[in-house]
Amino acid sequence: MLVNNILTNYIIEYMEEFYSTRYLKRIGKLSHTSNIFTCLPILDGQKILEVNILSESGKTETIRTIDEINEKIRKGDAVVLTAEEMIRLVESSGVDVAAKEVDVVTSGTFGAMCSSGVFLNFGHSDPPIKMTQCWLNDVPVYKGIAAVDGYLGATVLSETLGFEYGGGHVIEDLVSGKEIQLRAESYGTDCYPRRHIETTITIDDLNQAMLLNPRNCYQRYDAATNSTDRVLYTYMGTLLPNYGNITFSGAGQLNPLCKDPNYETLGIGTRIFLGGGIGYIIGEGTQHNPITGFGTLMVKGDLKQMSSRFLRGSSFYRYGVSLYVGVGIPIPILNEKIASTTAVKDENIFVSVKDYGIPSRPDLRPSVKKVSYADLRSGKVEIKGKGVPSSSLSSYKMAVEISEVLKKWIQDGRFLLTAPVEKLPKQSVVKPLEIRKKEPKVSEIMRTNVITANPDDDVKEIAKKLVEKGIDHLPVVDGARKLEGIVTSWDLARALASDKKRLEEIMTKKVITVFQNESIDVVARKMAKHNISGVPVVDKENHVIGIVTTDDISKKLVGGRTTI
Amino acid sequence: MIVRLTYSPEVVEKPVLAEVILKTGVPINILEAKVNAQKGELVVSIPAKGKTLEQILGFFKEAGVITQKFTQILQIDFNKCTSCGACISPCPTRALRFSLDWTLEFDEEKCVACRTCVNACPVKAIAVP
Ligand code: SF4
Ligand code: SF4
Repeated sequence: MLVNNILTNYIIEYMEEFYSTRYLKRIGKLSHTSNIFTCLPILDGQKILEVNILSESGKTETIRTIDEINEKIRKGDAVVLTAEEMIRLVESSGVDVAAKEVDVVTSGTFGAMCSSGVFLNFGHSDPPIKMTQCWLNDVPVYKGIAAVDGYLGATVLSETLGFEYGGGHVIEDLVSGKEIQLRAESYGTDCYPRRHIETTITIDDLNQAMLLNPRNCYQRYDAATNSTDRVLYTYMGTLLPNYGNITFSGAGQLNPLCKDPNYETLGIGTRIFLGGGIGYIIGEGTQHNPITGFGTLMVKGDLKQMSSRFLRGSSFYRYGVSLYVGVGIPIPILNEKIASTTAVKDENIFVSVKDYGIPSRPDLRPSVKKVSYADLRSGKVEIKGKGVPSSSLSSYKMAVEISEVLKKWIQDGRFLLTAPVEKLPKQSVVKPLEIRKKEPKVSEIMRTNVITANPDDDVKEIAKKLVEKGIDHLPVVDGARKLEGIVTSWDLARALASDKKRLEEIMTKKVITVFQNESIDVVARKMAKHNISGVPVVDKENHVIGIVTTDDISKKLVGGRTTI
Repeated sequence: MIVRLTYSPEVVEKPVLAEVILKTGVPINILEAKVNAQKGELVVSIPAKGKTLEQILGFFKEAGVITQKFTQILQIDFNKCTSCGACISPCPTRALRFSLDWTLEFDEEKCVACRTCVNACPVKAIAVP
């Protein structure tokens, strides 16, 4: 265990951001002795911090048990508030009063949750088939399990409609009771002689349709913006150039995990609202990262009870398809500490705004700013002195509706709470995927003896030079080798046909460039995207240090991979 | 407000649009243009409301140009819309926003029919008829 001053400051800063100093002071948690800081050394030299806000001030004393709450629910006496109502109550009357009065707080979230899908059992036809490949409305179903079991993931694309339709849409159509085309293939066996089947099904024909989502309900999620000069179409929606907008996701102060960030009431077996029906938490979700406050849930529920109001297939333009899932979780107010966390507000839940213009993995994308959900929801966030419009991708309105529906279920005595069999882990870490196979970088294939020209050079002479040297791309630089433009042999040919004299008149000034530590794959995609066959390699100050062409790339990859 | 301007053969040669812009100082933006010797048809966006808008339309009428307001530029299917907000920040003219209860609201007068929101909507709730 290593806790030095810098680290401690960092932790406090982190906590201040997450809960805000005032809030922590008010609920009596900002005393250094009452916090346990542990620090676990992990991969690539980084440290991940465990921030454990345990209070020793007696506020964890049990006020009521889940059994007592259920007794009240059965009698119709339970006091149930939505998270929004709880926030208002704590503000007006204080945590102690709220903790005494309120039995349950309902949370809700409604957002695109890609890690979702359904297990289906189609039943056996006669003669039977051991389906090896299967499609529902032309969307492939995973068939690596038993003969007529399958898993349909939310993000699979239709083989005929592409981005327009996919797994998420099939799930919505199933829930709405629509007729779905089923097609399957097999190699045929003695016990399963059939090789092909084509029919239609509805959800009622299925023996089981089990929504089973490996990762739902992200506690919070970093917002997105775009520093480049072109529009990006991402899973965070449309990102306009030059920090033109910010998009974000998550219900913030209504999010279930934000309402119980210490996971005191959540775990395997917690009964929840899922897609309009009843579901259960079956464990932590994939990429569950409690240490940094990015917890996730794995959930399941019977699709047949659900409703298409709370399960919506979606298409993100030029990105892919997904499923909007509605999740609502009741938080039993067992003690004052839980009462205080259920009253956490958007103002106290922080995320970074990440630059999606940098094609790195999410945690390596540069953070442009730290903001709260309240900032994001205000519709405008300042970046580099400019007011940038921000808007959500998940629906706050639907999240409120879900918390209200769940509240009603509990008040009507239709929904009892469960204690988790095992609580969510608080200590797992998320590791990146190491690339062990060596990936060629630009520095390995770029040519460093670059022939360059100056803006004042004569078009004819340069054209001669290009032909002599047999090159197609000529970076144009100033006296300090800073990149000013580029000309290609094609530009020169056209220039000769007109009567332009100086290179400056014909060069392209907006040059696509790359850095030497970029991977060749990324560079190849960049070139294909801009339809160019060569790019200058520059350093941070935009000095030309090399050049890469599609020829260089294909030479490097001969014998390695055939396509990029 | 998006308006269709139809020029008859008599006025098709006259610089009516330029005159109106000069007279009113309102930067009218051409979204679509089909002009030939017999007839001209422009779809323009006039960034004005109420009286100013009526005055501008009046000038066109005086000059012999037929004006027709586009009243339904976008169709938002509120049965499909989840009020997620994915269309709001990409809209270049701030024509889309949330009402106080976080329901999507559309301000038709600001819309320039650019279709950005049509692509941005994950559940295809917006269409341009
Ligand atoms: S069409 Fe363009 S201007 Fe009109 S609402 Fe959509 S994004 Fe905004
Ligand atoms: S993106 Fe679509 S669903 Fe979301 S608020 Fe806009 S119109 Fe509604």
